[in-house]
Amino acid sequence: MTGASAASFDNWVPARAADLPGAALDWLESQRHQALARVRAHGIPSSKEEAWRYTSLKGLLEQGFSAAAERPPLPTLEALHPLLVPGLDSHRVVLVNGCYIPELSALGPLPLGVRIGGLRSLLASEPDALRDRLNGIAEGHQSFFAALNTAGLDDGLVVMMEPDTRLDRPLELIHLAVGMDAPRVAQPRHWVALDEGAQARLIERYVSLDQSLYCTNSVLEIALGRDALLEHDRIQSESPNAFHIAGLYLHQETGSRYHGVNIGLGGRWARTEIYARLAGMHAECDLQGLYLAGDRQLMDYHLDVDHAVPACVSREGFKGILYGKGRAVFDGRVVVAKEAQKSDAAMSNHNLMLSESAEIDTKPQLEINADDVKCSHGTTVGQLEPEMLFYLRSRGIAAPAARRMLCLGFAEEVIASLHAESVREQISEQVGQRLETAPID
Amino acid sequence: MLSVKGLRANVGENEILKGLDIEVRPGEVHAIMGPNGSGKSTLAHVLSGREGYSVTGGSVTFEGQDLLALEPEERARLGLFLAFQYPVELPGVNNTYFLKAALNSIRKSRGQEELDAVSFLRLIKEKLKILHLDDSLLKRAVNAGFSGGEKKRNEIFQMALLEPKLAILDETDSGLDIDALRVVADGVNALRSPQRAMLVVTHYQRLLDYIEPDIVHVLAKGRIIRSGGKELARELEEKGYGWVLDQEQAA
Repeated sequence: MTGASAASFDNWVPARAADLPGAALDWLESQRHQALARVRAHGIPSSKEEAWRYTSLKGLLEQGFSAAAERPPLPTLEALHPLLVPGLDSHRVVLVNGCYIPELSALGPLPLGVRIGGLRSLLASEPDALRDRLNGIAEGHQSFFAALNTAGLDDGLVVMMEPDTRLDRPLELIHLAVGMDAPRVAQPRHWVALDEGAQARLIERYVSLDQSLYCTNSVLEIALGRDALLEHDRIQSESPNAFHIAGLYLHQETGSRYHGVNIGLGGRWARTEIYARLAGMHAECDLQGLYLAGDRQLMDYHLDVDHAVPACVSREGFKGILYGKGRAVFDGRVVVAKEAQKSDAAMSNHNLMLSESAEIDTKPQLEINADDVKCSHGTTVGQLEPEMLFYLRSRGIAAPAARRMLCLGFAEEVIASLHAESVREQISEQVGQRLETAPID
Repeated sequence: MLSVKGLRANVGENEILKGLDIEVRPGEVHAIMGPNGSGKSTLAHVLSGREGYSVTGGSVTFEGQDLLALEPEERARLGLFLAFQYPVELPGVNNTYFLKAALNSIRKSRGQEELDAVSFLRLIKEKLKILHLDDSLLKRAVNAGFSGGEKKRNEIFQMALLEPKLAILDETDSGLDIDALRVVADGVNALRSPQRAMLVVTHYQRLLDYIEPDIVHVLAKGRIIRSGGKELARELEEKGYGWVLDQEQAA
């Protein structure tokens, strides 16, 4: 694909810019234009770039995705029902193919000082509410797909919490993909800002009602003020034919805490990029992850954690189960700035390979420029322990069931770190079901 | 119940078992004693179907079936149980979930109904008491972070739950202090019955003070070189394995 023109991605941006929300806003238009210019100048990422060394865009380009000109057919509330998490009581926001759909959402009453709504409607009602903020976190990272998202910036979720506000129920963000006649790309754009001392829990879910082919390219920017706390469960269970790209851009002030758990189950080609900037002392960033890469499925993770100031803590713990011709990439990078003394970072990536044709490229990197730090990284790629398998079988448990039990045991640590109990139960069940059908014997 | 005839087994190129014979009837408790490297653990492993051993000769019949032709789980379902010398830690695998899967797979193979959650819990709480184990064990991962004593008690607890026909205790006394040993031995003794046989593999006579065997075998260099009553164990303790090995050589 080298030398290919980024024009292949032009269709990701709606042809008539005037149709986009806030088209009359100079600041927003200039963001879009700059982003599009960057996309074109950069060209399609090639395997010569470090960030794309292990992941080919060939399959994605072949689909000829384009932004939908028409609105997707909306499902009924009843149709949505099987996609809900049993027992989860949440402020619910539903996006269909990237568009915020109030009729399907159930926000309920919100505490004073907490604003939750759609990006498009906010740009219409308060054009300058996000001026100098939106794209402020993502822009500096120069990610190709984030730029593409910005170029077509349209709709998504906006959360703004004033100092010391607290959401008692979790906020659930459902990305629902509905299949359309032609292969469509949706590029939702989210902005979540928690001011000083605010606390919330966000459950982000990517789901579909069928097995359709589509592409999601979402960008979520999160700004955490001093001592703010965000707990974030992120569940990717896209259709098995979907392409999924998600960028998470995090900016953390002094004493803020971000605890994120990423579960990757769906999609045939899924790439997640997480950028965290620890910009205030004693900030804490915990990134956990579990991915299942089944036959011909790609799970690609890029983590970039920047300890810019002293005394911050970060954890990056990802686990993967691969089978069939499953592939996964873990490209984790922690950078400790020269002045960031007393930084504490621990990165790990453990992979369980259930077949010989599964493939993992794991590359944890620590770039330490300070001398008084506590940093570590560890990687393992292994099979199920014969000893463990024998122990279970010696108790009468058949080999396939024993293998599944051990795989679930391996995944359990990450599943247990999910913040919402009902989500935990559902994921535990879904991982079990996936392993049930996995050819791991 | 168990009939081992001329059993030969290798680990790699090394022949460990060199023609071993043993006959176990229901209700009997057999002790297998022997110095380090005599093949005690190999015997326990070969009988339970662990990988890494190749059987080069002889036969093993258990409950009328060719034991060596069966998978480990099939042996367990037929009523064989191995209490491990080093119980394996299974991080993330919940104990209750594991025990329920094990019990129900064995019950199913016996044509019994699978237990529902309530009756299962009632049953394990009852068995826990026998081993002086705390309920909290059920919420933990199998053997993960257990103390040596807890691991051994957990083995006997599983045995109590699965109710095997033949239990093989592989160096169950190793690493136990005297109090833990007593609890484990009490647990084992509570499971003695006219229908159940046990094969107690041990290096020391100490365990046999608590679990009294009917028959004691001395295993050396891959063969049973001597069998006798429980007094043989005491004699070995006094005179050491050298004594019986010398006798063997003289004969």
